[in-house]
Amino acid sequence: MTEPPRILVVDDEPQILRVLRRGLSARGYEVQTASNGEEALSVFAQWPADLVITDLSMPQMAGLELCRRLRKLSQVPIIVLSVKGEERTKVEALDSGADDYITKPFGIDELLARIRAALRRTSSTASRELTEIDLGDFHVDLEARSVAVRGSSVHLTPKEYELLLYLIRHAGKVLTHRVLLGAIWGGDYTEQTEYLRVFIGQLRKKIEPDPSNPRYILTEPWIGYRFSPDS
Amino acid sequence: MDNGWNKLFLRTSNGYLFAVAGIAVATAAMAPFHDRLSSTTVALALLLVVLFAATGWGSRPAALAAILGGTCFNFFFLPPVHTFVIAAPQNWTALAAFLITAVTAGQLSARAKRRAEEAEAGKVEIERLYREYQAAAEQAKQVEIFRQSEQLKSALLDAVTHDLRTPLTSIKASVTTLIAEESSEDPVKLDTESRFELLEIINEEADRLNRFVEHMVELAKLEAGELQLRRRWGSVEEIIATARERAAGLTAKHRVEVSVETELPSVRVDATLLAEVLYSLIDNSAKYSPVGSTIKINAHRAENEMISISVEDQGRGVPAELRLRIFDKFFRVTTDGNQPSGLGMGLAIARGIVEAHGGHIWIESGAKDCGVRVSMLIPIGDEDDSEGDHEND
Repeated sequence: MTEPPRILVVDDEPQILRVLRRGLSARGYEVQTASNGEEALSVFAQWPADLVITDLSMPQMAGLELCRRLRKLSQVPIIVLSVKGEERTKVEALDSGADDYITKPFGIDELLARIRAALRRTSSTASRELTEIDLGDFHVDLEARSVAVRGSSVHLTPKEYELLLYLIRHAGKVLTHRVLLGAIWGGDYTEQTEYLRVFIGQLRKKIEPDPSNPRYILTEPWIGYRFSPDS
Repeated sequence: MDNGWNKLFLRTSNGYLFAVAGIAVATAAMAPFHDRLSSTTVALALLLVVLFAATGWGSRPAALAAILGGTCFNFFFLPPVHTFVIAAPQNWTALAAFLITAVTAGQLSARAKRRAEEAEAGKVEIERLYREYQAAAEQAKQVEIFRQSEQLKSALLDAVTHDLRTPLTSIKASVTTLIAEESSEDPVKLDTESRFELLEIINEEADRLNRFVEHMVELAKLEAGELQLRRRWGSVEEIIATARERAAGLTAKHRVEVSVETELPSVRVDATLLAEVLYSLIDNSAKYSPVGSTIKINAHRAENEMISISVEDQGRGVPAELRLRIFDKFFRVTTDGNQPSGLGMGLAIARGIVEAHGGHIWIESGAKDCGVRVSMLIPIGDEDDSEGDHEND
């Protein structure tokens, strides 16, 4: 990228906006801020950001609604800021299209790492018309529907292949149980988390060096899974 | 169970005993005078025994009394006496009438007694049900009180976590940014101005945490009735200026208009605490009214040696049904499913402070029914009440 990535930060807390504006600008990002969802949408319309960071609880259009509205407009990655005790809202936000979350209070390094991961994702998923995907330790031949991990091919059932491919295509993103079930098994299965657990278990046995201590398919407790392609 | 049966047995056998004894006694009392008593008198006396048996022990002892009574009536009183023969045909009628009357009366009075007993039992049952209902209602009330205290506890926890975590988030993000600049290999371009601003934020948020702790302590003191007022003579204008200055950062995007009546007398109040009340009212107005709108602060003399001070905004206002509750501890108005920001302590503390001064505070709609006006009346105070205000800490 030639020009610096643009980040829109949304929070009703002016001090947080001040800190993040300084902290992110220092790392070469271009930053704009908004103090509620409505304001954020109007900024976004004039100034299409490459990434949105939003707080969840705000007066006048909360973060959850903002996620939904943004998703109707674009595929921009969204990171939600939440506090402990907002777990349900956090999951709802991830279900309605947010990519990742970070819990307050957070250190700037953690936030920067999430930002980098989210931006990497958008640049890697931009090319969808591939016949193969090379990502970290994974190589997928989309035509042969075969997968190789660390150079050796793994034998997968059709459903396992679909699940792994979905994980690879959304690497780094937090995927809620509901989103995964809906994507692989369809809308009727969104409550069958047990089902998903079984398939993830099978997949781990086939691709993880140590299935009991996974390094590719990471569990996000109570929320879902996150795929990390590098060991 | 056995006990019950025993009682029942005793009761019924008592009834039969009474029937036998009653008829025997009545007969024995009247038999010597059988030639002087009319058969009607005898029949009525025997009938009385039947009625007593009926009301006392029910229909069966009454029937026994009726049969015995009839037999004795015939044997001892109807000529020829001491035989079961009845000479005169009208005496047959008398005997038959006696028997029928005795049995019927026995049945009727026994039934009346049963009805009375049932009614009594019904009354007892109703009383029992009512007592149970009262106990249940009492329990429900306890449950409700408990639920409310649980709700208050969780509201307190929410408020506390929110108000501790928000400044902590800013502090942590600022500090980690500064640390990263010192320690990371990739170039971090923090200029002097940015560094200064981050340090400033840390400082401000530390103050905010401290204020929060002070608020908690103040609230606890107010609730325990231990708030010490340090009254001094001072000007209302200065108090308003202090509050405005403190709230300058919050009202940067609003217009603030102050109008103070000329010749306003000095007031004898705790200026620090009163400025804090005004600050939290301005803070609320700034938080809940749109950017660019006006916040009006007004002070004028009111009747009964009072000063009226009010803060008015052009926000969305507070629904009438919530206006009393808004001064409750940890009560926050949520709108459109959004979480409220700030803490439900400001107004509770404000009310406590105003009432400690002997004044009162209330909330109403602003001008033209838009926004909110919070008004308070504060007594001007006089020299005489200096006794109650020590200048100790």
